[in-house]
Amino acid sequence: MKTSQDIPLTYNENENCIKVTNLKKQYGKGKPLVINGISFAVKYGTVFGFLGPNGAGKTTTLKILTSLLNPTSGDITIFGKDLFKKQSEIKRKIGVVSQNPSFEANLKVERSLDLYGLLWGLNDRKARKDKVKEILKTFDLESIKNSKNDELSIGQRRRVQLAREFMHDMNLLFLDEPTVGLDPSARRMLLDHIKKHVKSGLTVFFTTHIMEEAEYLCDEIAIIDNGKIIAFDTPIGLKQRYGRMNKSIEITFKDNLNEPFVNILKDIVKENKKVSDDDELNYTYPEITLKGGNAIKIKVNDIEKVISEIFLIVPKNGMEIENISVNSPSLEEIFLSIVGNSKDNFNKR
Amino acid sequence: MKFTDKYVFVSGILLLLYRNLFAAIDKMFFIWQILFPVFQIYIMGYAYSALIGDQGINIGTSSISYVAFLTTGMMGFNVMQGSQIAGTIFWNDRKNGMFHQILAMPFNKIQYVIANLVTLIVIGLTSATAIILIGLPTIFQDMNITVWGISYTIFALVAGSIFFGSFTIILSTKMKSSETYNVFSNGLFIFFIFVSSVFYPAEGLPQPLSAAFYFNPLTYIADITRAGIFSHIDAFTNLEVLALTLFSVGAFVIATRAMVKLQI
Repeated sequence: MKTSQDIPLTYNENENCIKVTNLKKQYGKGKPLVINGISFAVKYGTVFGFLGPNGAGKTTTLKILTSLLNPTSGDITIFGKDLFKKQSEIKRKIGVVSQNPSFEANLKVERSLDLYGLLWGLNDRKARKDKVKEILKTFDLESIKNSKNDELSIGQRRRVQLAREFMHDMNLLFLDEPTVGLDPSARRMLLDHIKKHVKSGLTVFFTTHIMEEAEYLCDEIAIIDNGKIIAFDTPIGLKQRYGRMNKSIEITFKDNLNEPFVNILKDIVKENKKVSDDDELNYTYPEITLKGGNAIKIKVNDIEKVISEIFLIVPKNGMEIENISVNSPSLEEIFLSIVGNSKDNFNKR
Repeated sequence: MKFTDKYVFVSGILLLLYRNLFAAIDKMFFIWQILFPVFQIYIMGYAYSALIGDQGINIGTSSISYVAFLTTGMMGFNVMQGSQIAGTIFWNDRKNGMFHQILAMPFNKIQYVIANLVTLIVIGLTSATAIILIGLPTIFQDMNITVWGISYTIFALVAGSIFFGSFTIILSTKMKSSETYNVFSNGLFIFFIFVSSVFYPAEGLPQPLSAAFYFNPLTYIADITRAGIFSHIDAFTNLEVLALTLFSVGAFVIATRAMVKLQI
């Protein structure tokens, strides 16, 4: 497993849009570190998913990266430049959609997009007007363009907030849980729009709670908990790394299960120990669940070993398997497993 | 600071000023800024005039009517009243998430503070011009407009906007909610209004009260504005200019520091 300490920091400077080294944040002396020495790098033209439970440190990290907060210590380079020395230069090339709503209450949607374009330095009135038209169409806002922002529903306001960010050209976009309040079609439309921009070179730093989104959009994912990065990989990498340990088997037998046979199965599952002591985070506690009279669901770390053992004992006990299926865990299950185990270890300490 | 940096800094302030004027302020505020002084000048002014009689009020060596005194005082009053908008813009921006968003854009907190103060200066000068035009019949006989005199008036309005704008920014950064801010600012503004020379002159008041008038920048704003419009600039006016400058610079420095220190 890669941890923040293991993540290679030897990338070519030109490859990294963001590089964070040993970042720490403490809100006042004597208070706990909310960001505890994290390091990671985000390559150009990729979507970097920053996942974690509530209060893990996602938004604090994002606020530091967008210059809204100063860190206690650590180095950050964006576009190969020191964030703290070249703040204003860097800010001109980034976009930020924060998790809280932000809107100009007194303005109509069309006018607020136009104003936002102007604030971003889009001085040519005609170019701005064309851009507003394009954004209204892309984000399906034409029907509400003459509505005031404070008259919109939460979802509509969110759509305007997201659309607004595309009024200006940027190289890096920070999205802090951007799909909160959006309906499924608007959510999909947004994710596809982001994908399109990423193909044209945009880099995206994305925080979310919704694992399906992370899986759909992200090239790499870091999982943060208690201010530390506890896992970092591609979505497929995470699945391979942790999914191997967290698969479940469902077996349906031709006849109803009897108690002695279930006890034998339980013994097999219990013996399925963790791979090694170093692999605490990968470890899933074995579980066996009876489903109806003739089926069981087993969650274990080493699925292959358990299956081969079950195949051996089934004929010996006069049983016959009707159906067997092996299920890979979703990213959400993997996330829960990683964060859950991290919490267990944290509590043990 | 290089020229390009200065250009970027100033153009950022101008963009935020444009935003404040056309997006952040409710139109009703502008209407109220004009209607309120009209009410004060033409109703309160003439009503009190009837009470005071024809004795007039001394400005330097000459005497002016109470309505003329009040009209020029209302210009200073309007600057103070208008400064509430700096706090309102800030609270609304926080409530609607725009403060956070603006600072994530290529603007910083100092630009944000200055843009709010420039907004007040624009509002202050516009409403003062409107008051002069609306109140012209009341001051026409006594006024003596000179370039030198009007520059004092403009200075008083600009410095007054900076002082009261900074003051409301300091209050709004220190208060935890907009409700607390409103209670505090309304309470303090009552002190500013009534312990000032907006409605009545400081001369002739009992000593402790008269001294309290000169701890109030609104007194300087009203006095300097009048001195400029009626061309009665003397050594004391220049002393008031100095005092107002110190109040304004001090308030601006504290407001900027409070804003920079503010945790987002």
